[in-house]
Amino acid sequence: MRRFSAEVTSHKERLTELDSAIGDADHGTNMARGFQAVVGKLDESRPEAIDAAFKSVGMTLVSTVGGASGPLYGTFFLRFAQALGPTSLTDAAGLGAALRAGLGGVVARGKAVAEDKTMYDAMAPACDAFDAAVAEGAAAGAAASAAADAADRGRDATLPLVARKGRASYLGDRSAGHLDPGATSTALLFHALADALNA
Amino acid sequence: MPMIGIVVVSHSPALAQAAVGLALEMVSGTAPRIEVAAGAGDDIIGTDAVRVAEAITTVAGDDGVLVFTDLGSAVLSAQMATELAGVDKVLLTDAPFVEGLTAAVVSAAQGRALHEVEREARGALAAKTAQLAPEGVADTGAAGGPAGRGAETEDATSQGATSHSVEGSGSPASPERPRPERTPEPTVDALRAEVPLTNPSGLHARPAGMMIGALAGLDARVWVRREGGRGEPVEVTGTTALLMVGARKGDTVEFRAAGADAALALERLTTLAADGFGESDDGPAAAGQVAAGPTTAGPTAAGQPSAGVGVSPGRAVAPIVRRGPGPAEPARRPMPADEREAECVRARSAFAGAADFYRSRAAGQSGQSAQILGVGALLAEDEGLIRAAEQRIREAGDNAEYAVWQAAGQIARQLADAGSLAAERATDLRDVRDRVIALLTHPADTAPGAGGPAATDARPDRYILVAADLAPADTAGLDPARCVGIVTAGGGPTSHTSILARSLGIPAVVAAPQALTYPEGTWLFIDGGTGRIVPDPDEDTRRGAAENATLAFDGTGHTSDGRRISLLANIGSAADAVLAAGHGAEGVGLFRTEFLFLGRTSEPTFEEQVASYRQALAEFPGRKVVIRTLDAGADKPLPFMAANPEDNPALGVRGFRTASARPEVLQGQLAAIAEAARTARADVQVMAPMVDTVEEAARFANAARKAGLPLAGIMIETPAAALTAPELFRVVDFVSLGTNDLTQYTMAADRLSGALASLNDPWQPAVLRLIQGVAAAGQAAGKPVGVCGEAASDPNLAVVLVGFGVTSLSMTPRALGPVAARLKAVPFARCVAAARAAAAAHDARSARDAAAAAAEA
Repeated sequence: MRRFSAEVTSHKERLTELDSAIGDADHGTNMARGFQAVVGKLDESRPEAIDAAFKSVGMTLVSTVGGASGPLYGTFFLRFAQALGPTSLTDAAGLGAALRAGLGGVVARGKAVAEDKTMYDAMAPACDAFDAAVAEGAAAGAAASAAADAADRGRDATLPLVARKGRASYLGDRSAGHLDPGATSTALLFHALADALNA
Repeated sequence: MPMIGIVVVSHSPALAQAAVGLALEMVSGTAPRIEVAAGAGDDIIGTDAVRVAEAITTVAGDDGVLVFTDLGSAVLSAQMATELAGVDKVLLTDAPFVEGLTAAVVSAAQGRALHEVEREARGALAAKTAQLAPEGVADTGAAGGPAGRGAETEDATSQGATSHSVEGSGSPASPERPRPERTPEPTVDALRAEVPLTNPSGLHARPAGMMIGALAGLDARVWVRREGGRGEPVEVTGTTALLMVGARKGDTVEFRAAGADAALALERLTTLAADGFGESDDGPAAAGQVAAGPTTAGPTAAGQPSAGVGVSPGRAVAPIVRRGPGPAEPARRPMPADEREAECVRARSAFAGAADFYRSRAAGQSGQSAQILGVGALLAEDEGLIRAAEQRIREAGDNAEYAVWQAAGQIARQLADAGSLAAERATDLRDVRDRVIALLTHPADTAPGAGGPAATDARPDRYILVAADLAPADTAGLDPARCVGIVTAGGGPTSHTSILARSLGIPAVVAAPQALTYPEGTWLFIDGGTGRIVPDPDEDTRRGAAENATLAFDGTGHTSDGRRISLLANIGSAADAVLAAGHGAEGVGLFRTEFLFLGRTSEPTFEEQVASYRQALAEFPGRKVVIRTLDAGADKPLPFMAANPEDNPALGVRGFRTASARPEVLQGQLAAIAEAARTARADVQVMAPMVDTVEEAARFANAARKAGLPLAGIMIETPAAALTAPELFRVVDFVSLGTNDLTQYTMAADRLSGALASLNDPWQPAVLRLIQGVAAAGQAAGKPVGVCGEAASDPNLAVVLVGFGVTSLSMTPRALGPVAARLKAVPFARCVAAARAAAAAHDARSARDAAAAAAEA
């Protein structure tokens, strides 16, 4: 989470820039604010069980992000936490299942499908890649790296898409030619996960 | 009342609060609980699901919560919040934010259920859509298209049944206000009911409004068509659809209904029509015609008579007084900036004064006429109207008179745009406007109790008022002692004028435009029963009027066998006292003192009060005058006694109850009465209104005696007081039954409700038995029991009251003659028999019949 927060903060300008092209120019600011709050929360108290920790992450995001990514990332982490359960350790398969549960939460919340030009376009391929790697016997770190690469590809694939969800959808055809900020931050999330697991 | 909660989710607190403020302007009574969940922390534009969840929990009750969202994350946050809150019955709506919220707040305030409120909210764009639809554009049903009916497009009947006739001729839509008109056929499986109309006026505005009210909240679509009429059934989407049917008395109207509540809808409509829409059917049989016109019913008799529609029975002969057109538009006087606030205060207190006027008039009435006057009071208190006027003063620097005129015009246009019942309300609104402006221009002329402008003008002593039409307050402001007849060119049997004329006992003929051709001062004979009008009547005709003229009272009330009953007058001012003395009243049984206090921003001074009481007392040397202390409260708000708004003012802090909060007002008044009594030759007694308990009665009696007033009584206006009369007599010297309120509280039926007029009847056996008990308690205690409500002025009921043992009857002066005449014809033993028979009856109608039979036996 700390890594992701640092990633988001260092990419704040970039995310905001992307959002100013097709949205309300607040994605970077919102995400940075939300994840700084998350880090602050984790500094305050560090729950033993990982589900409690991620539940706290989710709730903090919901309350502090402000934009649509609040409830979306919030739901992601709440479902993620729920799938992990009250444990302090998990394996690659468990992590994959939790990521998929998080993705399910995002889909349920945002009702997005592939090529709507949303974070789904990065998150779904990342989860698929993670699961595929685990199925081939990869460790969690390697699987996360594969997921991060898939997320990047997914993010890049949003470039020509016309947005069908969120504020960008009001722009119609003009949303094409820009990367989706949500997909971009999702790719950062998976890079942070890979970096943390491979550290 | 059950009421849903509402949560407003927005990115912007300012937006949400402004939208809520706008919506709340539509609610005059209790508003639903509304919470705003907007912004994400300090000054951050965004939404916070946790906040939304808290808001949901805050407003949640048994009736559910409706959540409005603006855009983007608001929707996601709200969805998430419903999961977080874990509250049952939370509904997120996709209704338009502003229009939907407004519709929902109004609907929720009426106690509608969650799904009904949501449906209203979703349909809230329909008006805007219709208004903005370009002429001839049909409902395509496509996104962004002018979907005329919003939420109801799922109905199978609308498929392909869309009317495209707007482009052609013969469209019911007016050219000024094009709208995609759609009159779908009723579904095949619609239920059907044939409803005969028996009320005098048929399907005019008021019954139509009642029908729409009865359908509110039902899950049903209803179509209407006149039996034998041409054309297809019209869907009932508002009162206009019903008015377009043009159904009159004797017509049968066919209703079809579809939907879950179809059967209930038809049942309600049928019941309303069967009850004659609460219209009394005591109008003359010739009253079928509603519209004005020279060809209306009524036989043309000999001489040069003509005929209108008789709407209030009785005959009169007097010279004509014409009512001129209403006041002209006041001149605009620019106000300097530093005087504008004071001007706003002046405007607001004139509105309050007008509301007081209507209420004080309504207080003497019941049923329909009270309801009509109540409308005037409500309009005069309408914050929308008052604020519109204040805004003109503050922003444009208008003087109050001009601002009120303009604001009323503005609201009238809005009403007209809204369509429903516009004409009727516009008349009421004009009346309120003119009254407020009159109060601003000549505060003294229209003071309540002074008899209105007519009391100060140079009209003859007795006259027949002829006018194109009369507003309710024109009629209500008339003094029946001088205005002995009314003729209008317009109007119908159910117009406000007709109803009020009946309740005032003034003979009236409406729909008689020829009367406008007679010059002012012409002697006129009218028969309010047959509608006959004779200008310059000959001697025979005049005698015909005299035979029917009000019976004079010789000043001594008694039964045929000589048992004395004091016949007293109800008065509200010194002017009334003069009038009452002129009618031969034996004294005053009820002197209402509100007139001194109404419309005042400060309490009247001691000297002012003493002078007013003294003036009235001077008319009755050696006679009894019962002065009632201030009867104020949330229903008759006094500016200087700022009462808290109450949900149910009739059951609130009113009458003697106000003395707990402001004892000094009562003490001041008692001291002033005592001072006036000290130098007057009248036999002064005091009584308190709205007393429930022995403790209250004792408190009042002590205060009165302390002030130097030895004879203290109370009004019995509640069942509580009636049932404890034996105990009350231990602490007071007399009681007076206020039958209007006693009836209202016994029957739990609002005096202002036309629909409950049949319950609001002092002949109801429950009311009679309470009176019987009080009278018996008085006899046992050897103390007087008076009646000062409307019941005392009904000659047949007067017989019953005397039979119960009531010792005095106090009434409006014009009723003294008829009541005295009736009592003089019945021996006391028959009064007793009539009373027993009436009290033993099972309903109001049989009580009347039984009493009449027993009195004649």
